[in-house]
Formats: sequence, structure tokens, C-alpha cells
Amino acid sequence: MLTVTVLVEIAAVGLSWDLESRYDTLVYAVYSVTTVAAGALVASRRPENPIGWLFCVFGLVNALMADAAQGWGLRAAEQGWPGGPAAESVAVINWLPGGVGLILTFLLFPDGLLPGRRWRAVLWVGGLGFALALPGWSLSPDTSSEFVDGRNPLATNAVPTEALLLVGTTLFIAALVASAVSLIVRFRRSRGVERRQLMWFTYAACVAAVVLPLALALWNVTPVARVLAAAALTALPVAASVAILRYRLYDIDVVINRTLVYGALTFMLGAAFAATTLALGTALGSGSSWATAGATLLVAVAFRPLRARVQDAVDRRFSRARYDGRRRMSAFLDRLRAGEAAPEGVEGVLRDVLSDPQLELLFYLPESQVYVDAGGVAVEGGFPRDGREVVPIERGGQPLAIVLHDRRADEHPSLLQEVVEAGGLAIEIARLRVELRRQLSEVEGSRARIVAAANDERRRIERDLHDGAQQRLVSIGLALRHAQHELATASADRARETLDGAVAEIAVAIGELRELSRGLPPSQLDAGLAPALRELAARAPMPVHVTAPSERFDRGLEAAAYFIACEGLTNAVKHAHATHVDLRAGREDGRLVVRVADDGIGGAAPEQGSGLRGLTDRVAACGGSLQIRSELGAGTALIAELPCGS
Amino acid sequence: MRVVIAEDQVLLREGLGRLFADAGHEVVASYGDAEQVLGEVAAHAPDLVVIDVRMPPTFTDEGTRAARELKDAHPDVGVLVLSQHIETVHAVSLVALGGFGYLLKDRVLDVGEFLSTAERVARGGSALDPQVVARLVSPYDEQSPLSQLSAREREVLELVAQGLTNTGIARRLYLSERTVEAHVRHVLMKLDLPEGEDGHRRVLAVLTCLEATQPQ
Repeated sequence: MLTVTVLVEIAAVGLSWDLESRYDTLVYAVYSVTTVAAGALVASRRPENPIGWLFCVFGLVNALMADAAQGWGLRAAEQGWPGGPAAESVAVINWLPGGVGLILTFLLFPDGLLPGRRWRAVLWVGGLGFALALPGWSLSPDTSSEFVDGRNPLATNAVPTEALLLVGTTLFIAALVASAVSLIVRFRRSRGVERRQLMWFTYAACVAAVVLPLALALWNVTPVARVLAAAALTALPVAASVAILRYRLYDIDVVINRTLVYGALTFMLGAAFAATTLALGTALGSGSSWATAGATLLVAVAFRPLRARVQDAVDRRFSRARYDGRRRMSAFLDRLRAGEAAPEGVEGVLRDVLSDPQLELLFYLPESQVYVDAGGVAVEGGFPRDGREVVPIERGGQPLAIVLHDRRADEHPSLLQEVVEAGGLAIEIARLRVELRRQLSEVEGSRARIVAAANDERRRIERDLHDGAQQRLVSIGLALRHAQHELATASADRARETLDGAVAEIAVAIGELRELSRGLPPSQLDAGLAPALRELAARAPMPVHVTAPSERFDRGLEAAAYFIACEGLTNAVKHAHATHVDLRAGREDGRLVVRVADDGIGGAAPEQGSGLRGLTDRVAACGGSLQIRSELGAGTALIAELPCGS
Repeated sequence: MRVVIAEDQVLLREGLGRLFADAGHEVVASYGDAEQVLGEVAAHAPDLVVIDVRMPPTFTDEGTRAARELKDAHPDVGVLVLSQHIETVHAVSLVALGGFGYLLKDRVLDVGEFLSTAERVARGGSALDPQVVARLVSPYDEQSPLSQLSAREREVLELVAQGLTNTGIARRLYLSERTVEAHVRHVLMKLDLPEGEDGHRRVLAVLTCLEATQPQ
């Protein structure tokens, strides 16, 4: 489309050269070409956005209808070619589709969507104005001055052209002004980068909205009006280009960057090829296939380093931030390889490069599905959604980390992406290290808790022995001494009473010792898990249904399974207010699975009770996993899976 | 002898009370926790306070702390601490105060010995449980001055450390008082301790010496 437009414009300029004022010929040609060029770029980058196509279509329409048709009309009148007045008729009404193009562009710039549903009315008003003004203008005898022979071939008095034109133009201009207002509304709503992108175009649109109706009104009064109109029109694609290029609307600068790099590269390699061919040709005799081969080799060898150099040079010249960012990251990677920097420092580099001291790099841990910072501290609830930009970092389709970043208005959108890509290895290493550290600290924590639990248990047994059985034995001893004393001084009946009391005390002491030994692996475990679990169930103060295999497992495993069952039952008794418990143990897929399910109130959480926490540790120590399903009102199910090994 | 008992376990408290009563002593008050003893002991004007180490609320060392405060406030009252287990550091530092006893609970079953110890403490003497003393005396090495003592001398030393007087030692070992005096003189000489002291000051010197021989 761009090619067609350029060709049409060349023809138009050729046609109308010297037949109208030169500024007219050139300014309108530049207007069409820039519009279509901008449109083509945008359309190639964002084919889904109608703005690009709008620019293309209306640029081409303008080129064909205004410039080419007018040129043809002028040249035809000069040279006596056919179709002159017809072409002129087309050229005369050109401002109408041009105006439609402007209205649409103003309304849809930059995202291709109306700023709101109400703005649809502007389209209708504009369309109505267009429908009225088109016949009004094309059939009006007043436009005759536009024609070379001073007569509009279509002019007629059969229709009230003046009224049509008046109403149509008024509506049309109203729509134009309204669409410019829509841009202002958009501008006021926008923030940051978008605001800067819109600024230039809005400014140009406002000027156009004022100047164009004015120029239209004064069209036949002064030639200055025509110059003003052309200038205002040209300002539009220029402003759009500024938004696109300077403020990176539609990311087109990447295209330009690549074009520059590959253009320069092609030129340099071509020149090198030619020079080598020439030089070798002179040395080896022309037509030598060695010359061509040598030149090809040179070009092939030079391609990669040259491309890097050229890219570097282009970046240094045109995208300083990206150039600096990449250099800093590669310097960091060098220090990392040399062992002078820790991979976690990559966050600092990103902060530096993007000049955002609040930037956060959060690593994703797939196992626990949480985001953690470099210190391994988990971020609750995914990650903070505080309006900052969230840039995900992936590697091989797997989420690796995210960057939370407050993007500055003039920051290049792909700068972060590029720096992150360059530092991907460091980020991955940092993530692995964080994950490792976290796992290590979890293991250390669980080990410490196991040791602490064992100590607590020992202390409990010691205290129970001291305060319970031992004291009781002392008091029994005292009672016996007292009985001895009574036998010597009082009646035998008094002594018998004292002795009865001592025997009763002994019974209590035996009971206490039995209670105490509950915390130790029961002797039933010697006979296997199933008898031990049945014994456990028999002691429970509620019905417990036991399903357990007669199969024997590793002793440690059986003990772990037994304690899990104990803890589950204790839980059901103490906290769950259960009336029935289902206790199952069995081999499933090479694992010993223990399930304790009650019909109690549910709502148990491992963080709340040290019992469940200790259980989690005990299971983890066996290399197994523990699940607790405990929804409020739905009972609690405790499922431990312990690897059997065989 | 007017006795106050502080012991949280009812059975043991009653047993102790009966034990003192059977021996003709007067149990003027008994308490279930240490705080109350501190507040009310002055009103009973006791000769001896028997106090358990572990008591409410934390069941750690309430008794020991109460005993120390008791001794600070009423230096004339004998305090006998009953403990469930052998612990040297607190025991020695308390006994060094004088008029103080530290015994394992099961000593009460040897009624005669227990009562005489209690009376000694009430009179301002010292008493350290034989097992605690044994722990202080037994771990010695070649360099320790204790290695120079004969078996009999070590026996005498232990009894000195337990707080017994020469007369008490003589009775215990079925020796004449004169022989005991000779043994004690030798022991004090070998340990480089001043002679001529009896009673509490001698116990203090011996305990300090024994503490110093403890492996660090």
C-alpha cells in the first residue's frame, strides 16, 4: 500500500508540477506519504489495531482522490487529455472522505476503540454531515472556481445545494470538533506514558479542529487558508509519528532499530564482499571462483561479530538505556562467574538498570507454589498487587520469578525484558539457591523441633516420675513408718487402717506408672501394627473402627504409624468432639498409609497445635507426607503416607 | 520443736506432719505453696521450716527461692529443703548459709536420722545430703588434694561436709571422739584448711574446698 501510495504521489507530483503552487503539490504529497508510512508501520506491528489501516486507507484515498486526480485534471486541461473535469470532480470532494478519516482517527487513536459508548453519536453526526455535504458540495455551482475551466460539470440548481451544504458542513464540522474533544477527554484520563503519547497528537488534533473549519470557511477568500489547512493536516501524521517513535507507541522503535542494524549490516557486508571480490579478482585474475569464495568466507566470518558491533553501536546511539542495561548485566555476570558476586545480587542490578530502588525480584518455588524474596521469605497471598507492573520471568515455559516494578514514563517497555533475558542464568541460579536454603532451613527447623520434642517428652516423663510415682512412694514409706510407730504406741486397728491406706496408695502408684508408659512404644507393637492399633482403639473413650493388615513393616515405620494413630485419636478425643473414629492402615503403592478420620467438628490446622506440627515433623523424618483435611463441620481426616522401601 | 511444713502434695504433707508429731514435735502450720509461707512464717515463730523444692505454680525451684528469702528475713529459723533429685550447686550455696539443710526426700524414711538432722538444723547447724556430698567428694583426680586422704579420712570428711559435729561423727563411725578429732585434724591439714573450728564455719570451709576441687 505504501508502494502504491508513493508511486501515485510521484505521478501526482509529476502531473501537477508547475500547474499549481509548488508548496501545494509537495506539502500534500508529504502528507499522504507520511500518513501511509506511519499507517503501514503500525499495521505491520499491530494488525489488530484499526488505526494503522485507517492511516493507510485515508492516506491512499487522499493520494488518489486529491493529489493524483487533481494532477490529472490539471494536466488533462493543459494537454487536452480526456477525463479532466471528472477527475477534478473527484478532487473537489476529497476533503470530505479526508475529514471522515480525521474524525475516525481522532475517535479511535491510539487503541482503536471508542473512548466510550456515547461517542458513537459523533460517528452518526459525522456520517449524516458527510451524506448531506457530499451532494451539496459536488453539485454546487459555487465550486466552479476549483475547476480549470471555471465550471463545475455536475453543477445543478435542481437540488438546494446551499442548504444541504450548510447543514451537512455544520454537522460534519461539529463531528470533527467533537472527535477532537474526545481526544482531549482521552488525554485527561490518561496517565504516564500514555499521556505523553497522546499529548502531541491531541495538540495537533486541536489545531486541526480549529484550523480546518476556518480554512474551509475562508477557502475561496485567501490562499493562506489552503496553506494553513495543509500545514494542520501534515502536523497530524507528524504528531502521530512522534508519539510512535519518541514515546514508543506500538513499540515501533524495535522495528526501526532492527531496520537500522540490518540495513547497516547489509551495506557493510555488501561493501566488504564487493571490495574483497575486486581485490582478490585483481590479484588472482578476474572471474576467478577463488575470489568469490574468499569474499563469501570473509562475509560469513564477519557476520556475527559485525552484527554485535553494529547492534551495539545502534543501541549506544539510539537506545542508551538498553545499551547501558545490557552492559551492566553482562559485567555482573562476569563478576558472578569470577566468584566475586552472589547470584542474589541480580536484584540489585535490575534496580540499578531500571533506576527503581523499590523493584522487587520474587522467585517462584514450584514445590510449595509460593513466591519468595532473595532471603527466602515467602510473600503471602501470591505477590502484592499494588498497581506496580508485574513482569513474569519464565524459562522453558516454567515460571521462574516475577519482577515487581514501577515503570517510569520514559522507560523502554522491553528494557526490563531484555535485561532479564540477559541475566536469566543468574536469576535461575539465585532461585535454586533460595529454594535450597529454604529447604535446608525447613529441615533444620524440623530437626530442631524433633530434638525439642524428644527433650520435652523426656522432661515430661521425668516430672511425672518425680512428682507422681516417686512422691507417692515416699508418702507410702512415711505411712508405713507411721504404722510402725502406731504398733508401738497405739492399737493394732489404727495401724491396720494406716496400712490399708498405704496399699491403696500403691495401687494408685501402679496406675500412674502405667499411664506414664503410654508415651512409650507399647509392647503390643512387638506383635505387629494391627494388634497395637486394636489395643489403642480399645483404650479410646469412643468407638474406633480399626482396619489394619497383619503384614509386618520396618519397626521404626510401625512405631511412626502407631504414633500417628495415637496423635490422630488424641486429637479426635481432645479437640474434635468426635463420636466415631475410623482408623485404617495399609500398604498402598509401596507406601504405608495411615488414615485417621473422625466425625467431629473439623477445622484443625497444623499451625495451631504443636501436636499436629510434631506429627508433621515425625512423618517428614520418615520421608513421608502428611495431609490434614479438616473443613469446619466435616470432620477431620489425617492421612500419612510413609515410604515402605519395599 | 515448732515446725512449719510447706509441701504441695497432700499425702506427703500429712505424712511429714505425722512423722514430726509421732516424735513429739509440734507442727504449727502446713502450707501447699511457697508464697504463703513467706508471708505467714513470722506469726508462727517456728524453730524449723521444712520446704519442698518443687511447688506451684511452675514446679521448678519455688522452694529453693523461698528458702533463701526465708533465711534472709529470719536468720534464726532453721530451714530444711527437701528435694527430689541430687543437685550440687544450689545445695552447697544454701547450706553454706548455716542453719540450713538440703536433703533428698527419701531421707524421711530413715526416721531417726531424719529427725536428728532436722533438730541439728533447727539449732543452727548444717545438713547436706550424703548423696550430694558423695558427688562432691568422689570425682577427683591424681592432682586433687583429696587423693592424699585415706579411706577413713575421706569417710570423716564426708560426714564433716554433711554437717555432723565431731560427736555426731564419732557416734556414726563407732569411734572415740578423740580419734575423730585426730582424723579431722589430718584432713584439714591435708586440705590446707584452718584448724580449731567446729560447727558451721568448718562445714563452710570444707564445702568451699570441695567445690574448688570440682572438675570445671
